[in-house]
Amino acid sequence: MGITIRKATINDIQAMQNANLHNLPENYLLKYYMYHILSWPQASFVATTYDEIVHDEDAPVEDPKGDTSYINKGEKIVGYVLGKMEDDPEAEDKTPHGHITSLSVMRTYRRMGIAEKLMRQALYAMCECFDAQYVSLHVRKSNRAALHLYRDSLQFEVTSNEKSYYQDGEDAYAMKKVLKLDELIPGLMQKAEEVDDLESDLLA
Amino acid sequence: MSMRKATPILGSKEDIAFREALKLYDAKQYKKALKLVDQNLKKNSNHPESLTLKGCIIYFTGTKTEADLYVRKGLARSPTNHLVNHLAGIYFRNVENYAEAAKWYKAAIDNGSQNKQILRDLSTMQVQIRDYKNLKESRQLYLEEQPGFRANWTASAVAQHLNKNYDGAVSTLSKIEGLIKEHLSESDKVEHSECLLYKNSIISEAGNFGKALSTLEADEPEIKDKLSVLEYKARYLMLLGKLEEASKIYRILLQRNPDNAGYYSLLEVCLDTASKPVEIRLKLFSKLQKFYPRSDPPKFLPLTFVPADHPKFIELAKSYILPQLEKGVPSSFINIKPLYKDKLKLKAIESILLEFYNQKLNDKSVQPTIIVWTKYFLAQHYLYLNDLVTADRYIDEAITHSPTLVELYIIKARILKHKGEFIQASEVMNEGRELDLQDRFINSKATKYYFRANNVDKAIDTISLFTKLEEDAVNGCKDLHLMQASWVLIESAEAYARLYRELEKAKLSNEDADSEGADENEDDEDVDEKIELYKGLALKRFHAVLKLFEIFYNDQLDFHSYCMRRGTPRDYIETIKWEDNLHSTPIYSRVMKGLSKIYLDIYEQQQAAKLKAASAASTSSGSKNKKNKKKKSKAQGKKREELAAKVASEKEDQDPFGTTLLNNVVSNGNGKVLDNLFELFKPLLVEAKDNRFTWELAFELYVRQSKYVLAMQAIKNLNSVYTNYNGDNKKYKQIGDMVLRLKETTKNDPEANVAIVKVVEKGLATAFPDLTKGDEEFMQAYID
Ligand SMILES: CC(C)(COP(=O)(O)OP(=O)(O)OC[C@H]1O[C@@H](n2cnc3c(N)ncnc32)[C@H](O)[C@@H]1OP(=O)(O)O)[C@@H](O)C(=O)NCCC(=O)NCCS
Repeated sequence: MGITIRKATINDIQAMQNANLHNLPENYLLKYYMYHILSWPQASFVATTYDEIVHDEDAPVEDPKGDTSYINKGEKIVGYVLGKMEDDPEAEDKTPHGHITSLSVMRTYRRMGIAEKLMRQALYAMCECFDAQYVSLHVRKSNRAALHLYRDSLQFEVTSNEKSYYQDGEDAYAMKKVLKLDELIPGLMQKAEEVDDLESDLLA
Repeated sequence: MSMRKATPILGSKEDIAFREALKLYDAKQYKKALKLVDQNLKKNSNHPESLTLKGCIIYFTGTKTEADLYVRKGLARSPTNHLVNHLAGIYFRNVENYAEAAKWYKAAIDNGSQNKQILRDLSTMQVQIRDYKNLKESRQLYLEEQPGFRANWTASAVAQHLNKNYDGAVSTLSKIEGLIKEHLSESDKVEHSECLLYKNSIISEAGNFGKALSTLEADEPEIKDKLSVLEYKARYLMLLGKLEEASKIYRILLQRNPDNAGYYSLLEVCLDTASKPVEIRLKLFSKLQKFYPRSDPPKFLPLTFVPADHPKFIELAKSYILPQLEKGVPSSFINIKPLYKDKLKLKAIESILLEFYNQKLNDKSVQPTIIVWTKYFLAQHYLYLNDLVTADRYIDEAITHSPTLVELYIIKARILKHKGEFIQASEVMNEGRELDLQDRFINSKATKYYFRANNVDKAIDTISLFTKLEEDAVNGCKDLHLMQASWVLIESAEAYARLYRELEKAKLSNEDADSEGADENEDDEDVDEKIELYKGLALKRFHAVLKLFEIFYNDQLDFHSYCMRRGTPRDYIETIKWEDNLHSTPIYSRVMKGLSKIYLDIYEQQQAAKLKAASAASTSSGSKNKKNKKKKSKAQGKKREELAAKVASEKEDQDPFGTTLLNNVVSNGNGKVLDNLFELFKPLLVEAKDNRFTWELAFELYVRQSKYVLAMQAIKNLNSVYTNYNGDNKKYKQIGDMVLRLKETTKNDPEANVAIVKVVEKGLATAFPDLTKGDEEFMQAYID
């Protein structure tokens, strides 16, 4: 089936946690993933891939692989974005806004646009479902890939420089992007030469 | 536990002091609370409320056994006192005995407590133990008590839904919708939207798609989650046969998310193209590709349905793969690998690649990285074909050219792993890691490869570069447990298991070699100690994963009421289902696979020892052995301590090496080893019925436990797993072997009940009629 980007469900959280543990030093208990899904069910997305496209009639049935990235027979999670709305009662800014808790893609699946697509889905959903006016996140100053993704591909802006934000003492950039729903439709972000009018006969 | 105004006024001095103590308990001031309770009990050692409260307090300050004792004493003195009941409910909730907690919360209410909050706690317990019938009642009662909160309506509807009372649930939800409509504030709108969708999902779950659709259309303006609206609507339209309309919705969905392969397939169903000539489908996809040029599915999916000998296949495959090589996409090979099931496509892609490669090699103007990425692709291609020599050649050339490209080392290491060179593989992966110390992914890979090479220390040291280090922790082992890194725990358990098995095997062949040398020498003892150490650690790590599953199951507890308040009942219902099938996740089976091998090893060794003991009467060597050990362990005390610091899974780990765990497994008597294993394995019988492993292990256990009828059932279930999947009646050798083994075992078991043997014999003959032809002919029918 190639790569699919879809909304994350509770069934995905173990494999999301697994991907997070593989890719990032900031890790969370499974309950925190539950908390995300059960508080903002629309705000998180996963990228999955299938081992097999067609059911092979001749091969005997195989059990799902014990690899921790699998959620089902043949379906595994290779990337995720975990999103939330700001819910800290202490937060200064009371305008509804989203926050990216975590984003990562397994290295063997990087550089094919998965992170950007996950992000676009999350931003759109946050804006549409929760009226997020903007979305914020933190990124390590040295994280070239992520910086490129946020700043250049997604047009985030650096809002501040947070000294020793991370456990190991590294600084973070706080970044944000203002959200406008009609400018966020993911399928219209591809600079396509033609746009589906949603009406005409596709088989003509 | 908060005291409500409605609680009857307490009279006696003890009661007043008790009330004071209760307040302190609620404020978590356990020491002070205990002092008051103790004073009370000095005056009246039978004061039931004080006894129970003392148990509750001791739960936090003392031992569990003592706490339990006091709570039970209190209950025995006054089983119908609602204060005692309530406290007991709280106590059992704290010790995670939810069934007992539910029982006493219920008793508190039945015995006249006016504290209605108990109903809420009661319902939490009931849903946690899946007592849906009584849940409905307590949620309903609580709703009647507090109808002013939408959460209570939602909660009541959820209870009805869980009881499959769809109409009731919908009517409850509709009622509150009507009541609240005029009063919705801006901040209620997300909850409202979710509740409308929840109602809709129930209508459709009840099978009423027409009504679900019309309700959805009516509610749509108030629903914020448009993705769900569209997905529901498209599905309903399809189920109602309105394919044309449904196809339009899928197009909208694609515009929102052109990277969801599922939408493309469903669009095809709506347009009924799957049965149409390839040309028509190609035309459709070339249009979709124009709309979504940066999405993978419209480019990839045609490769799945266009046959390899179709004139267009080569062109399509080229335009899918080659740009990825030019851009240096690391997943270029894994992206097309699913097509390799089709041998003709594999060949076609191979020739595309070789042609491209040769052409680029001879082209001086070409960017050298393209050649490297092509070699990288080809190495994986030949690895897939198990042509390791060619794979090796390509990857070596690539590395020579670009020695700093991490991706290449991943493949080189994988090739070595396939050659069985685990140590070398881990070293190569580590070389890759050292090229990008910032990236945790490559660190994880190196860690995993060290585990595979049975180098647990190196693995843990490597991953510890990315874990939190508490003060005085020597490595990240504890943090990995805390952060629920199940993949690490499993890999390390499996490594330890391999280590002890290697030693056992070596020991056995040594014993065979010098069987006359009866002297126990130092080396042997070292080996025994190591075997025990690794076995204990393997058990410990596997059990640590099982513990995670217990945590994951308990994690739902807070959400039973949270989701009602939050207004997320749809995903809550999904969570309940997910929890109910938690053990069907592949990891659990993998743990059971590893764990069962250890348990069965222990069981078999005990059986063998029994036989040996029966034949040889002398047992004197045992005590001598022990003496030696003691002397040694003193000398090694310090080393042991250092080792403990490395492998402990939590602070102040009482059993850092899993020795106690191992002893418990071993000393639990012969039959018990299997019983204990069965307890851990049991959830799979319910939650993973479709997995072969479930029935394979069930069979192994039942045969050893002489539960022959159940063993027969396990074979039948396994057979169904095979035939349900392929829809044929192929006869697999594995099944044949099991049938014969069961037949032989029952026949040769002198203690087997004659009637049971008959039942098994008959049952097997009915299920596997070939058996009547005799064993040999039977096995001839059962070849893969
Ligand atoms: C950061 C990360 C999520 C990017 O994932 P990805 O799927 O490879 O990213 P994409 O393919 O969508 O790339 C988005 C953009 O970033 C660029 N980019 C990606 N990796 C890059 C790298 N290593 N160096 C420079 N640019 C890079 C891409 O070229 C692309 O730019 P473009 O639109 O101009 O072509 C991934 O590298 C990762 O998981 N890293 C480890 C975890 C992490 O750092 N997470 C972010 C924490 S804030």
